Amino acid sequence: MISRRLTLLGALAMVGVSTLTLPALAEPVKLTIWGLDGDNGLIPALAKEFDDKNDDVVVEFRAIAFDELVNEALKAFATNQAPDIICLDNPDFALFSSRGAMLDITDRVAKSDVIKTDLYYAGPLASAMWDGKLYGVPKATNTIALFYNKDLFAKAGIAEPPTTWDQLLEDARKLNDPANNVYGITWSARANEEGTFQFLPWIQMGGGSFKEVNTAGAIKALETWKTMLDEKLASQDVLSQGQWDSTGTFNAGNAAMAISGPWELGRMATDAKFDWGVALLPTETEGGARSSAMGDFNWGIFASTKHPDESFRAIEYFVSQSERLFPEFSNIPPRGDIPLPSTGDAKKDAALAVFQEQLKYAQPRGPHPEWQKISKAIYDAVQAAMTGQMSPKDALDQAQATIKGIVG
Amino acid sequence: MTTRGWTNWAMLAIALALAAVYLFPLYWMYVTALKSGSEIFANPPTFWPQAPVTDAFPMVWETRTMATYLSNSVLIAAGVTAITVILGSGCAYVLARYRNVWIDVGLFVILMLQVLPASVMVTPLFVAFSQLGLLSYPRTAVILAAAAKAMPFFVVLVRATFMTVPRELEEAAMVDGASRAGAFFRIVLPLARNGILVCAILTFMSAFGEYIYSKSIIQTPGLQPASVGLSTFVGPNSRDWSGIMAYAAIYVTPILAIFVLLQRRIVSGLTSGALK
Amino acid sequence: MTRIFRSVRDGIGFDILLIGAALLFLVAFAGVPLIYNVLMSFQQVDMFNLGTFMRPLVGFANYAAVVAQPEFWMVARNTLLFVVGSIGGQFVLGFGLALFFARGFPGAATIRGLFLVSWVMPGLVVGAIWGWILAGDFGVLNYLLKSLGIIQSNIFWKSDPNFSIWAVIIANIWLGLAFNMLLLSVGLHGIPRELYEAARVDGANTWQRFWFITLPMMRSTIGAVLSLGLIATLQQFDLFPAITEGGPANSSMVSQYWAWQASFKLYDFAKGATISVMMLVLVLIASVIYVRSTRHEVRG
Repeated sequence: MISRRLTLLGALAMVGVSTLTLPALAEPVKLTIWGLDGDNGLIPALAKEFDDKNDDVVVEFRAIAFDELVNEALKAFATNQAPDIICLDNPDFALFSSRGAMLDITDRVAKSDVIKTDLYYAGPLASAMWDGKLYGVPKATNTIALFYNKDLFAKAGIAEPPTTWDQLLEDARKLNDPANNVYGITWSARANEEGTFQFLPWIQMGGGSFKEVNTAGAIKALETWKTMLDEKLASQDVLSQGQWDSTGTFNAGNAAMAISGPWELGRMATDAKFDWGVALLPTETEGGARSSAMGDFNWGIFASTKHPDESFRAIEYFVSQSERLFPEFSNIPPRGDIPLPSTGDAKKDAALAVFQEQLKYAQPRGPHPEWQKISKAIYDAVQAAMTGQMSPKDALDQAQATIKGIVG
Repeated sequence: MTTRGWTNWAMLAIALALAAVYLFPLYWMYVTALKSGSEIFANPPTFWPQAPVTDAFPMVWETRTMATYLSNSVLIAAGVTAITVILGSGCAYVLARYRNVWIDVGLFVILMLQVLPASVMVTPLFVAFSQLGLLSYPRTAVILAAAAKAMPFFVVLVRATFMTVPRELEEAAMVDGASRAGAFFRIVLPLARNGILVCAILTFMSAFGEYIYSKSIIQTPGLQPASVGLSTFVGPNSRDWSGIMAYAAIYVTPILAIFVLLQRRIVSGLTSGALK
Repeated sequence: MTRIFRSVRDGIGFDILLIGAALLFLVAFAGVPLIYNVLMSFQQVDMFNLGTFMRPLVGFANYAAVVAQPEFWMVARNTLLFVVGSIGGQFVLGFGLALFFARGFPGAATIRGLFLVSWVMPGLVVGAIWGWILAGDFGVLNYLLKSLGIIQSNIFWKSDPNFSIWAVIIANIWLGLAFNMLLLSVGLHGIPRELYEAARVDGANTWQRFWFITLPMMRSTIGAVLSLGLIATLQQFDLFPAITEGGPANSSMVSQYWAWQASFKLYDFAKGATISVMMLVLVLIASVIYVRSTRHEVRG
């Protein structure tokens, strides 16, 4: 610890000396940043600003497709080509932080005037931590809740959105209208991370966790999902459609409810030709435990970086722009101290208020270095039960056995 | 009109109907680019957009620096085609010239080297390239890797072309004093030209869409081909489908146009029996 | 020295140079990755030793682990079904179209050329579009089948375990059809007209002409088409993430997607490599078919 401090001081001193004595000759430091750009352009925009505002730093941003981000990072890390900074999806973060691939920034953050960990929501922050140390900073956060078509609710004579699983099922039955191509509900039970993202909150509401997936409540949750499919209250295609395409059918008026997140708001506001609203995810019983999924990315610095100071400065800059996250990029800040300004669209504002409420119950997936294997056990169980290959109980028992082998 | 005439018209009608069915996915790409985000999922499907939106095209062209991406695609495809044609033609010629167990082994090896999908090959190639320092020349590295992927296919097809070149012509040239190399370059190669050209075009077309190697090996955005640019539209929760389709339309249309123009050449290359 | 030079210019050395250059190139850029994968299937791999060749050996443990997966036999069955279904469909339809266009009516060549557009469409786009065409509710395929009265209620191509593998097969037949038709058209052009004339004089009907002339004369073309088709089918990848993700409940999982998932979704690189090495067996079959088919070639 002491030696690290000393090196750090030494490094700081060196930087200080070089900038003081040779200001004009100093070669700008090159920082590479990897991340998505499909996220309303947030990462490339901030990266460019940091580049423009700092003469001593040149930033090179590389956009990577969502599915490839971890692979590219692993390959690069294994061959000593890792970037300085990366923005990783939160469940993937522990794969790197637990193996020492990310720089421990606990001390730097403690001394920082910009990054205050106590301002952050617990869920996003936990996803950036491993073994009590901080390895990253949440970029933004999101969660899922229940969208509902108010026009169809009125037509079916339902006054309020459902608050329990049984009510959800009941309402879906009332709203289901095959003659007019309308399903009661849609969501995603796809055989990938999206399926887990959607089902894990139900496990948690049912008294379980990612380490314990076969509680009685979780089994009831999966039975509810299966019933919705068996009674054709939802399209069979929830098994193969992602959330975006699923909610697309809601926007087109072909489903009366949809479970998805705030990333839908922009498209829904322009495409949906009906009145819609958002409600908290229904709980197992009235007033029962709430839970929801937690999405979005974390900033992190690779341990192999040659420029930890500049990298940390970059992250400080990104965090300092938190107030712009929502108005400019439709990202929800991962902390409670930043008010979201009105969008000028009453439906959107109301929806956002619900999502902010739901965020309080959002729990991270993991953190666990082998999250993807845990996740596969969960979505495999969902798919096995919903296709009738196994009973919900057997499927979740099998998933539990697999997960036990992973988490110990 | 004669019976023959009627049959011809009927066949033409059937052919057009078949082509229409087959080209439907292409049509769907263009139509989706013009649809709003949620209309794609409407039930029943709309075969023509309710209110066509063309915003996606200029937006995609500018924000995605497509001109750069496309020029990289052309460069990579040209490089892959050049290497494949130069190395592959000679190889195919030899494999067509003899008929013995070594040739069987050669063909066998060339096919077996195709065994792994590119997605599985890319990790070892990445590691090897990084150790050789080739990652500093990423487009060259992609060209080399993709050419190795395209080669077996090219060799099998062009070998068939060389089979159609009568052996006697080559022997006659050698009797007249030409060397083996001379006979190859002056007699055999020109006779197989059409077949090689057709296969080269096919190689170019598939290399134009090369994605898996490029996305891993080329890390500098300014050097990436259009296929990699396309993949960045896919977010964790959202997919900008009209953007993706508009991008794809811009990406594919020029090569389709070139293809339609070159088609006569390809088709005549086929019908002259040069490629067999 | 001069002897070698002369041989290169004017002897067997010329052949060795031509084939040697290509083979060296292939071994370097396709052979090395292959060996690396075979090696990896016997090793323990993680993110820290991904960049080297030297890793702890584990013998056949990875193979045992792959076979012990509950979905192993389902994946094997699906892979076989995918290969046979795709190649069968591509070949039969491709042959049908090739024969049809070989009738030489006006416009035949031009229209045939249009079929090749499937070659240039990016994989991501092809996958997405087929995903929508095959969707249960808003999919165009169901819409057409219902309009034509062929089906009464929607088939959930992507999400019904009984159909999901066929959904991907349908899309893959579309992708490979153009290639099959092109190669088979070329083969058909190579058959001398006189053979058909002679057969007609002898009173052979259409079916007999096809069976006794067309098929035997096309043996080498068919060998090439089938073996290249098998290899292409085993490499087909884009359609899976876009259409089914191998689901529901692994009912459309095939080996190449399974290998990719193990390596690049679960980061179990050794298992991914092991699955890909197991696929070698299938390509072995393709290679043998092809090499055998070249025995029947006729030199022009």
